[in-house]
This record gives sequence, C-alpha cells and structure tokens, in this order.
Amino acid sequence: MSEAMGMLLAAEPDLPTIDDFLPRGILFQGTPFEINRIILIRIVATVLLLVVLGITAKRAKLIPGRWQGVVEMGIDFVRDSVVYQIMGEVRGKRYLPMISTLFFTIFVFNLCGIIPGMNMAATATVVMPLVFAVWVLIQYWITAVREKGLWGYIRDECFPKGVPWPVYILLAPIQLCELVLIRPASLTIRLFANMVSGHLLVATTLAFAQYWVIESANKLAGIPVGMLWFLFGLVLTLFEAFVAFLQAYVFAILSTVYISMSYPED
Amino acid sequence: MVTLAETDGIALFIPKTYDIVWSLIILVIVAVFFYKFFMPKFNAIFDERAAKIEGNIAKAEAAKKDADEAKRKYEAQLSTARVEASKIRDDARAEASHIIADARSRAESDAAQITANAQRSIESQQQQAMVSLKGEVGALATALAGKILGAKLESDDVQSSMIDKMIDELDTSDKK
Amino acid sequence: MDIITLAEVAGNLSVIGYGLATLGPGLGLGILFGKAMESTARQPEVSGKIQMIMFIGLALVEVLGLLGFVAALIVK
Repeated sequence: MSEAMGMLLAAEPDLPTIDDFLPRGILFQGTPFEINRIILIRIVATVLLLVVLGITAKRAKLIPGRWQGVVEMGIDFVRDSVVYQIMGEVRGKRYLPMISTLFFTIFVFNLCGIIPGMNMAATATVVMPLVFAVWVLIQYWITAVREKGLWGYIRDECFPKGVPWPVYILLAPIQLCELVLIRPASLTIRLFANMVSGHLLVATTLAFAQYWVIESANKLAGIPVGMLWFLFGLVLTLFEAFVAFLQAYVFAILSTVYISMSYPED
Repeated sequence: MVTLAETDGIALFIPKTYDIVWSLIILVIVAVFFYKFFMPKFNAIFDERAAKIEGNIAKAEAAKKDADEAKRKYEAQLSTARVEASKIRDDARAEASHIIADARSRAESDAAQITANAQRSIESQQQQAMVSLKGEVGALATALAGKILGAKLESDDVQSSMIDKMIDELDTSDKK
Repeated sequence: MDIITLAEVAGNLSVIGYGLATLGPGLGLGILFGKAMESTARQPEVSGKIQMIMFIGLALVEVLGLLGFVAALIVK
C-alpha cells in the first residue's frame, strides 16, 4: 500500500509528530541545564515578556498612551473580571500579583505557538504547566491552612455536613484525591494538551498545504487543494490565538476559584 | 500510522530534569518581576490616578462652593445696595418735598408779610392822607365857605359843626 | 492480497477512542452553552457572572475531552 502511495505521490507530507515536543538538545547536552528548542523559545519568550512589560511599567505615566492602555486593560481584566468577581476585593487583593503572573505568562507563552519563527508554545512541555499548577496547589493549601486550619479544611472538603455517614466512605477519598491530585493534574493536562493539539493541528494543515502546492506531482489539482489547506491553517492559527487567550483565562479563573474555595463560606 | 511517530506518547508526560530546572528558573524570574516590580508599579499608578481624580473632584467641588459663596455674597450686597438706593431715593424725595414745602411756606409767609406791610403802610398813608385831607379840606372849606358866605362865622362851635357835617356828607358820598 | 489482509483496517484504534471520548464533552459543551445562553437571555443583568461560571464549566468539560486525547497518546 505504501508502495502505491509512493508511486502516486512524490514524497510523504512532512506531518508533525510528537517528536516535535521532544526536541534534541542544542546546548549543555546531558546536564540539568540542557537547552532544546522549546526551552530556547521559553527563554526568549520570558525575555520578551520581561523587557516589554518592564519598559511599559518603567515608562508608565498617569495618562496612559496606547500601548500602556492595552497593558492596563489586561491588568484590569485580571483584576475585575477574574479575581474580584470570584473572591471579592478584600480577599482578592492578596492574590492579584499571582493571578496576574499566571495570566500574562501563560498568555505570552501560549502565543509563541503561532508566532512565526517560534511556532511552538513555550508551555508545550508538560513541566511548565505542571509548575504553574503546583504553584496554585501550594497556594491554595497555604490559604486553607491559614484560614481554616489543616484539619478544618480537610473536614470541610472531604466530610461535608448534611451527608449520611456511609457516603463518606466513597466521598472522602475522591475529595482528597481531587484536592491533591486532580486539580493540579487537570490544570496541567488542560493547558499542555491544548498546546500540543493546537500545534499538531496547525502544523498538519500547513504541512498538507506545502505538500499539495509544492511537492505534489499533479499541479492542476494540487494548487487548489493546497490553497484550501492553507486557508484552513490560517483559520486554525487564528483559532489558536483565541485558544491561547482562553487557556490563560481559564487557568487564571480556575486558580482563583480553587484559592477562594479554601476560604470558609460566609 | 503517521502522526504518532517512533517515540511513545508517554514520553511527553515524563518530566525531564532540564525541563524542571528551566521551568522553575523562569517561573521564579517572572514571579519576582511581577511581584516586586510590575504590579506595585501599576498599582501605584492606579492609586495615583484615583487620588488625582478624587482630588480634582474635590477641587471642583470646592471651587463650586466658593463660587456659590461669592454669588450669594454678591446677591446679598446687591439687594442691600438696592434697598439702600431706594431708601436714599425716598429720603431725597422726602427732603425735596420738605424743601419745597419750606420754601413755599417761607415764600407764602414772606408774601403775606409783604402784603400785610404794604397793606399797613397803605392804610397808614391813607389814614394820614385822610387826616391831612380832613384838615385841609376843613380849612379849605371853611375858607371857601367864609369867602362864599362872607358872613361871619365867628362862632367856633358853628364852624366846627359845620365842617364835621360836611365831612360826614363827603364821607357818605365817598362811600356811595 | 490473501484472505487475511482483505479485511485490513489501516490506522490506529486510539483515534476511534478519541472520537468516542469527544462525544461526552461535546454533549456537555452543548448543554453548557445552551443553558448559559438561556439564563443570559432570562437575566441579562447577571451575564458577566454567568459567563464566568460558564467558562469554569467549560474548563471542567474540556479536560474530559483532553483526557481522551492524552490517553490516545499514552496508550499504545
């Protein structure tokens, strides 16, 4: 079958594989400081984030310019429609820097997935989302211990009032599992899998586009089909930009929800 | 099998040491940047802006109050001035009428006095004239009568009674 | 082509698995967005709150679909 394909087509389309997410090291191979393509993208993205936001903050004026207005809109968005809406101003003020860090960093790292030249989200290894999620995990446990005490928190979450006691046998392990494992795991998997699938989708469409337009032997059919694939890729790229924002928003909102669930009901 | 290549997918989910290292380094850098520089800076800007807006509002309110105060003062001044002016006008009018009345009464009294004086002098002159006329007329009449009559009218009694009679007649004829 | 390869199915079973895994989240997303729209139409004044809760729900539903994707990657 592959022989038949080989006869029909000049070459296989250069489809993306999951090896894209496990690139070979470029620098310091074998040491804990090994740098591969994704790490390099991550470092570049970090430097860009720090430089751009740093300059913006350094030059911030009372009457904002256009770019400062955009950055302030982001800050306002995180503050008003994420943190303050969920936990209120009094409780939320403390977590504002954390949620802002998460939102801006994840957003910029995700956007790297569609920036030409990078074409790979900086969050597209499992560890980066995991580190964010573990930070959130630690934060909401600290908050819980401070607000309710360790036992109070576990009791409220695992043994909620108004439930007949036999249910606790089933409920308590599930809730405990949720508290320590499922929450960070779901945060991690959501972000990571989104970035992986986004990259695979965009890269697949563009690989097909390139294959049909350039490498296909049959130019008459190849160019229209390739253009269609390219259009599809373009739409998916825009969709990925939306997903980049949505995932940052969802990550920020879920982190805030988890932290606010550590507070006692009022 | 195209998409899933040689490597097992599970490899994606096994954290690598270098990945952990770089993720942590980057997270710490970004977090420090946001906690220590970015958010405080923008919070300061937001606070300053809020303070400025509030200050401007307060300033505007103060200015408005000042303006209201000034307007009230001005209006009060205006009304007192108006009252004063009308009072002055009334006073002046009263005074003027007073002056006029004074002048009129003075003039009237003057006129009356003058008239009275004139009357009096006229009367006295008349009296004088009458007296002198009486005398003269008497003498004249006596002389005339003496001359006419040629008679002796020696008797004074007769003489004077005659004269008186004549004068009375004159008077009555005068009064007619 | 012998008798055995006649019924050959090319491809990977995990793709079918992923297809099945999207069914539940797909239904869930439909219900989620439909209900969110309904309640926004009923009470437009709380649309911000509804939208936020909708996104939390979206995140929870989404992770189910992504679990299918991840499982397809992991299990050979």
